[in-house]
Amino acid sequence: MESMIHDMAERLFRDHVTHRLREKAASGHCPEALWTQIEEAGLTMALVPENAGGFGVPPAEALGLLRIAGAHGLPLPLAETLIANAVLATANMALPGGRLTIAEGEALRLERRGKRVHASGHLTLVPFARWANRIVTIAVLDGTDHVLSLPVKVLSFAPAQDLAGMPRDDIKLDHTLAETDAVPLPRPMGGMRRLGALIRSLATAGAMETILEMSIQYANDRVQFGRPIGKFQAIQHNLATMAGETAASRTAAEMAAGSYDTPAFALTVAAAKARAGEAAEKVGALAHQIHGAIGYTQEHTLHHFTKRIWGWRDDFGTELDWTRELGRAALSSPHDTFWHFITDSAAKGAPA
Amino acid sequence: MTLTAFSPPPPGTDFDDLRQEVRTFLAEELADFPPEKRAKSWNGFSRDFSRKLAQRGWVGMTFPKEYGGHARNALERYVVSEELLAAGAPVISHWIADRQSGPLILAKGTDDQKRRIVPRIAAGELCFCIGMSEPDSGSDLAATRTMATEVDGGFRINGTKVWTTYAHVADYMILFCRTGKSDDRHGGMSQFLVDLKATDNIQITPIIDLGGEHHFNQVVFDDTFLPSDALLGGKGEGWSQVMSELAFERSGPERFLSSFALIEELIRLLRDDATEAQQAEIGRLSAHLMVLRQMSRSVAGMLNEGENPSLQAAIVKDLGALFEQDIPRLARSLVSRPAVPGGSDSYAAVLAYTELAVPSFSLRGGTREILRGIIARGLGLR
Ligand SMILES: Cc1cc2nc3c(=O)[nH]c(=O)nc-3n(C[C@H](O)[C@H](O)[C@H](O)COP(=O)(O)OP(=O)(O)OC[C@H]3O[C@@H](n4cnc5c(N)ncnc54)[C@H](O)[C@@H]3O)c2cc1C
Repeated sequence: MESMIHDMAERLFRDHVTHRLREKAASGHCPEALWTQIEEAGLTMALVPENAGGFGVPPAEALGLLRIAGAHGLPLPLAETLIANAVLATANMALPGGRLTIAEGEALRLERRGKRVHASGHLTLVPFARWANRIVTIAVLDGTDHVLSLPVKVLSFAPAQDLAGMPRDDIKLDHTLAETDAVPLPRPMGGMRRLGALIRSLATAGAMETILEMSIQYANDRVQFGRPIGKFQAIQHNLATMAGETAASRTAAEMAAGSYDTPAFALTVAAAKARAGEAAEKVGALAHQIHGAIGYTQEHTLHHFTKRIWGWRDDFGTELDWTRELGRAALSSPHDTFWHFITDSAAKGAPA
Repeated sequence: MTLTAFSPPPPGTDFDDLRQEVRTFLAEELADFPPEKRAKSWNGFSRDFSRKLAQRGWVGMTFPKEYGGHARNALERYVVSEELLAAGAPVISHWIADRQSGPLILAKGTDDQKRRIVPRIAAGELCFCIGMSEPDSGSDLAATRTMATEVDGGFRINGTKVWTTYAHVADYMILFCRTGKSDDRHGGMSQFLVDLKATDNIQITPIIDLGGEHHFNQVVFDDTFLPSDALLGGKGEGWSQVMSELAFERSGPERFLSSFALIEELIRLLRDDATEAQQAEIGRLSAHLMVLRQMSRSVAGMLNEGENPSLQAAIVKDLGALFEQDIPRLARSLVSRPAVPGGSDSYAAVLAYTELAVPSFSLRGGTREILRGIIARGLGLR
């Protein structure tokens, strides 16, 4: 797909997202200057509808940015901010600018306090929370999805991190929100868990493409027994397996991105996140096998990508969570046959 | 990376109405067709069924109208193909002709060959077989020995083909053989259109598979005379012609739906009270199936655009075979019920049939090892 914003992102990340930058980020340093460039390039607004200040990029193309960010191991919440802005815009809320993040709000308790909404409960392992201005989440009040925009500075949190060293923070919530910070969604968007699963599926596909490229390069360069190890059939077949898994994950993620904001999304995103998690396991393992000991070091770049794809398996539902959800839908579907479920799930989604 | 990018099938290609028509047709035609027959998947043979399908316009769908086809696109054909496979319809009688021989003749054949043969394929009347493999030439197709020697008015063929699926009933074979010497391993090969019913000195003997089924054969050519107009495409062009058939041969839904009857049986058993672990396994299977289907439809879209996605096709076939071969293991891990060949319990019978069928899935149409070699080369391994 020819895309101006993809080219722009590709150039920006290629020039700035270095091994050193990823190292520094993993040790707790937020790359502020790069963020400013990302924001100035408009990437964080790509999924916002035109009438809310976006620039009319088709959703599949806007979401394609996240595969590219994944391919560069971008240590910033671009994906989270992109989704947060889209959700805020859908609820006609103000777009605050700056770094945002998203959290699953299914477990929050909301209650009315006069004209305002009081939220209590826990948000766990929220990505990049301590680097963000606001956490955007979706929770239910009176049977309706509400978007909450939580200012991070008033929250207290327990810092933690994912496998790649990126912030994942636990937050305890017991706050009465400003009227403008809790707004009903005019139409359901599938909850933050699904949107989060989508961005991680796309990023995983991108990161796996980079892992595959690095592994091919290494196989062509590394010489043992007098020839490049890529000449050995065992290595070639491992690379072919990696290519298959990567292609399947990318196809799955793009299928989900293609059904963003349609009824099919619930099932395509489940398939995408489950497939990405399974592939991450195989692709990571084979990449390390091909790279030998050097790939097992801090010094080598490979780990920035393998740790990311492994860590992302745990964000917004694991493979087990998503396969169960998909399996439950398949086994309880009113379709005459499983086949009808499969064809419908891709085209129109499961019946409620 | 282009090899890992499978562009989504074009929008508006679900063809719901067509799908519904096919389902209605299949529900009637196969009303009494039992699961153990459906388990044969595309290996089931019925000329009668193929003819009826053709009467509905669902054979030779992508062929031009002037040759009896229906000028529909590859994604419409895809809908019909996958519905047939999912239902376990007996399709082999027209399958090979519809999938690759017809398109080959249309692309490389003479006007006369097209006019004589293609309309009959589209009518569901002709069964084709593929004569490529030989006793000493399996994965290494370039080691083909069967030789066509030019004589007055045509060619004399000598040599032996094996594993030729349905040669014993087929009307035509697309024969791959040598027509000359060449320094290039891939040179000097050609393809012939062999009329099996009207040609003398061809001996076809059955080979029985390990499940006791007769589908493949040995075919011996003993000084067999073929007229000059049996040559299909250019003399010496056989290798490149065969290579361009592969994307058609390898990317279709038959590369991941061969065990589908067992999936339906399994889900029927689990439907009402599945444990969480069983749900998760069915979910995993569903995810794989949804994704394979999307990849395969993507390749159909590329074929429709006239591209040659043979590398993507190799990926679909490799992943597809892994998927369909894994189904018996999956079934055994979820349900404890013995496999009984020909048993009266349909699950047991389908399980038995499928267990014995799956080893062939990563052999036919190019072995797993060969496919991975092709993919690796496509990745730029030097
Ligand atoms: C059910 C079925 C139907 C078939 N129908 C037809 C048909 O209609 N027409 C037809 O022409 N053929 C048909 N075939 C034949 C099929 O194409 C061959 O079986 C296939 O090409 C492999 O050849 P082979 O069996 O001689 O195995 P071999 O090529 O001898 O291979 C044996 C093993 O060695 C491996 N191997 C071979 N070369 C390499 C290498 N370079 N690197 C690594 N491993 C290698 C293979 O992967 C395989 O595991 C059919 C086969 C089956 C099972």
